[in-house]
Amino acid sequence: MPAKDSTSGTILIATILCVVCSLAVSAAAVALKPYQVENAKLDQKKNILDAAGIPKDELGKPASELTSKKIDSLYTWIEEKMVDLDTGQYNTEFDATTFSLEEQASNPKTSEPIVGDPYDNGEDRRPKTMKVFIVRHEGEGPIKQVVLPIYGKGLWGTLWGYLALKSDLETVQGITFYQHKETPGLGGEVDNPNWKSQWDGLKLYDDQGDPTAYVAKGPAPDDDPSAVDGLSGATITSRGVTALVQYWASEQGYGPFLETLKKQIEEEAAAAESPSSAGNATTKAGA
Amino acid sequence: MAKKTLDVLTDPVVNNNPITLQVLGICSALAVTTKMETSVVMAIAVIAVTGFSNLAVSAIRSFIPSSIRIIVQMCVIASLVIVVDQFLKAFLFDISKQLSVFVGLIITNCIVMGRAEGFAMKNSAGISFLDGIGNGLGYGFVLLVVAFFRELFGSGSLFGFTLLELDRNGGWYNPNGMMLLPPSAFFIIGMMIWVIRLNKPAQIEES
Amino acid sequence: MKPLRDAFDRVHPYFAKGGILEKAYPVYESIDTFLFTPGETTRGRTHVRDGIDLKRMMITVVFALIPVTLFGMWNAGYQANSAIVKMTEADVPIEYDWHHSVHTFFGLGHDPGSFADNFIYGAIFFIPIYAVTMFVGGHIEMIFSVLRGHEINEGFLVTGLLFPLTLPPSIPLWQVALGIAFGVIVAKEVFGGTGRNFLNVALASRAFLYFSYAASISGDKVWTAVDGFSGATALGQMAIAEGGAIESLDSVQYVWGDTGSITWMSSFLGTIQGSIGETSALLCLVGAGILIAAGIGSWRIMLSVILGVIGTTLLLNAVGSETNPMFGVPFYWHLVIGGLAFGLVFMATDPVSASMTNTGKWFYGILIGFMTVLIRVINPAFPEGIMLAILFGNVFAPLIDYFVVQANVRRRVARYAS
Repeated sequence: MPAKDSTSGTILIATILCVVCSLAVSAAAVALKPYQVENAKLDQKKNILDAAGIPKDELGKPASELTSKKIDSLYTWIEEKMVDLDTGQYNTEFDATTFSLEEQASNPKTSEPIVGDPYDNGEDRRPKTMKVFIVRHEGEGPIKQVVLPIYGKGLWGTLWGYLALKSDLETVQGITFYQHKETPGLGGEVDNPNWKSQWDGLKLYDDQGDPTAYVAKGPAPDDDPSAVDGLSGATITSRGVTALVQYWASEQGYGPFLETLKKQIEEEAAAAESPSSAGNATTKAGA
Repeated sequence: MAKKTLDVLTDPVVNNNPITLQVLGICSALAVTTKMETSVVMAIAVIAVTGFSNLAVSAIRSFIPSSIRIIVQMCVIASLVIVVDQFLKAFLFDISKQLSVFVGLIITNCIVMGRAEGFAMKNSAGISFLDGIGNGLGYGFVLLVVAFFRELFGSGSLFGFTLLELDRNGGWYNPNGMMLLPPSAFFIIGMMIWVIRLNKPAQIEES
Repeated sequence: MKPLRDAFDRVHPYFAKGGILEKAYPVYESIDTFLFTPGETTRGRTHVRDGIDLKRMMITVVFALIPVTLFGMWNAGYQANSAIVKMTEADVPIEYDWHHSVHTFFGLGHDPGSFADNFIYGAIFFIPIYAVTMFVGGHIEMIFSVLRGHEINEGFLVTGLLFPLTLPPSIPLWQVALGIAFGVIVAKEVFGGTGRNFLNVALASRAFLYFSYAASISGDKVWTAVDGFSGATALGQMAIAEGGAIESLDSVQYVWGDTGSITWMSSFLGTIQGSIGETSALLCLVGAGILIAAGIGSWRIMLSVILGVIGTTLLLNAVGSETNPMFGVPFYWHLVIGGLAFGLVFMATDPVSASMTNTGKWFYGILIGFMTVLIRVINPAFPEGIMLAILFGNVFAPLIDYFVVQANVRRRVARYAS
């Protein structure tokens, strides 16, 4: 073995060290990968379930307090679908399991610029295809809800979240933001459960079919079914939430898809009316 | 000898605390201390890294060529940090999400590097390991004290368990928003240094 | 006066070295020198900057603050009473608190046309804030002085008046106490007490409250002391304007459903809502006159802040922006709205935290003016910028002085070398 301070010794030691370290790092990375992927998936499932309010309605507690088994079993209610945002049609070629919103939105090949008129979520680009989540009671029967990924600019950065709609597709079921950079205690109150609960039952569209749900300045007027209380001291965050919800609800956002889905719900309802499957559907829905 | 071994472990907690005396590793102390939970995990991560990096560096100290010794230490530390980060992502996903880049930034924490270069290069493996653990504990101690005040006064809770019912949830306590912002950690660390040096005037620097 | 002097001389031995009350000497000394000019002269190698002693200087500042204080009390009452009348007309629910009870106890009503109604109602808001500030801050100061064996300084008289004037009238009193405690301990005592605070203490206290309890010191609800009131200040309104910023001031939405307008003249005179002391640019000008005439406030700083504001505003006007209407706000508006006038006259000129050198004062002032406009216009989170700009300027003041002195040294070396 060469002396440790000689050139060859230095190179030898460096090489050995590099090999050992890289082995240790890659071993850890490879061995733990399955757990990490599982965790990331579980995290997303929790967020979607919370937006849809399923854990709260069924078990009376938020998804974060449930075991992963419970989450998985509740998640069977949900069907993942890829949707072409421009046409509003389902895109069956796209593999829903590999979809990553942030990646797709930033890649110029898979995204398109946001026009920003008349509705604007403050972002530059959006993906051409989006993953949406269709909720049926215990995975069967009529469509109960649909959960839509939404995002847009707040004060300090992008708010990423989910918006859940009831089966009439005009009323909000719930909203959650799973990632944001808003000021704790002010704009950060978008995470406050009390504030989020106001979204339940909110009217998303006005009589002309234009998106109208908004975050008020100060307390929401009692007679307005489309308003939630403003976040006190957070004008810009409140405006950002209003803008992004209206953007995604508009024709520029999920408008075309919601049309498609409306037709689908009507067709399914008509099919359920027909004698062959009626009994089946009602028992399931009543369970 | 036993006395001395114990000193190596306990000295860095108060007497020679890396944060309050040497003012090292402040960056992550500001970032991760809004909650007790994240602080505990961060403290454990740092203890593991300082301990094992000291152990590893000390074990191979006689083989390390002096011309590349800093790079060798860096390499060992960086590998350990990545392994710790991977473990957190696999088993404590929620917390690792909140800690975000700050686990990775343990690599740049001066305490780890400082102990590897300043202690582990000159001492035997066992005692170096204890020194690493001790310094990690010193760091963790400061982290927990800071997080205690920040979570209690900023969110009215400890470990997520509500102690002071917030006024926006129908309680009486109006939370202090600044406690949720990083600068508050500066004030708390400053106060800690003040209190410690009042009791241990030997730590006051000559001006 | 003679009997009083004798009384002081009689108790003096108790407080003198070796006396039983030796520890409390600072308390005795402060009361004594507050009433009588001290007979001692400075010992040791002292560099005389100015012939006037600290006490007289502080008293002059307090004197200069009296117009804005009196007006602030009247205006706080006037704003509240005007709002009460409008809200009663529109059937908006008002929750009255103890201020109202005290007010009616004196047999007074809420008529915005009555001077007494306005002044007394405003005073009922201001005086408790002032009292809490003096009580808490004064005691902390005294404790530190006694512990350290320093003399108690009158510096706190000014801080204790400045701080309440920067607060909205509706601020909860416990927050006042917490704010001034933080300011005095962290911004002043930690660094060695009076004369060693590198930050303006009143502003450091306010900044603490601003970041800790933002809901009580920003937004649309706090500037008029009526529970249930909501209406934007000029800066708040401009920041969220769609279209022209100045035009939007004609349609400020109030809680009673009406829209009102904020005019340049009302902002200049100060009959608008805001922090207690900040609204009247005119009376700040009067205060500036007193400070400059007495040679205490630096006209260089005041002028350079104004120049900094004008320069930056003109620059931003020229740059323009389609999405941010604040870019188009002209400088003569910037100078009268918000706390700019108050801050530049009374806060930026604080001799301890400002630059010392005359050249440095110009840089210091321009920096403050520049930062104020930058925060107001470009930062989306903070509508007002003067508080943060002055604190920022405070931090840079020693550095500015250092460079000014170094430049001077270099110039002289060059001169002597040739």
